[in-house]
Amino acid sequence: MLAFRSEAHVDRWCEQTGLARGAAFPLETAWPLADLWYRDRLSPDWRRRTPAEAQAAFADLGLTGKFWNLG
Amino acid sequence: VELDDRVRMALYERFVEEGEAPGVGEVADALGIAAADAEAAFRRLHEAHVIVLMPGTTQVWMAAPLSAVPTDFRVETTRGEFWGNCVWDGLGVVSMLGGEGTVRTRCPDCGEPMALRVEDGQLVETDGLAHFAVPANRWWDNIGFT
Repeated sequence: MLAFRSEAHVDRWCEQTGLARGAAFPLETAWPLADLWYRDRLSPDWRRRTPAEAQAAFADLGLTGKFWNLG
Repeated sequence: VELDDRVRMALYERFVEEGEAPGVGEVADALGIAAADAEAAFRRLHEAHVIVLMPGTTQVWMAAPLSAVPTDFRVETTRGEFWGNCVWDGLGVVSMLGGEGTVRTRCPDCGEPMALRVEDGQLVETDGLAHFAVPANRWWDNIGFT
């Protein structure tokens, strides 16, 4: 996951690298995603999320659709 | 506690303390176990996608959100400076280490420096976009690229 200054920068980068545009969303959504994912990573009780749990976490943040489908 | 959890905890603790990923021998010494047992645990953690080893070695490449090698995502925290694997992981390092810090990167398009500052568990700089090139169900096909 990379951080871009704006939509126009994502579009130009995709064009120049020949990579298909994936999913873009505001950095203000990236923070709660990162926080949810990693805040307990140093805990002895940490467990890797199941695909279903990860899917539900994405959906809670509005990250839905085919791109986010882990099934 | 299972051996793999103890190895995971020792690995992460040393990574955070030292600022660099420990080797099999250091983790084995820290836990008072045989190097062969620590090595087997490293490999199981890799297979389980908990850590990522450098191809063909038992050297840690990634213990998400931390990267053992320099990246474009430098993270400053109250517990030291680290490398994240990507923007998500960079912010993840800040979260994991107390929710206070800054991720420094550059826009891949124009090279402009970007600083993502988190204070009191909140992202302060909210301009900009995150972009994922790889769909979620293919992240682990090539986790280095993802």
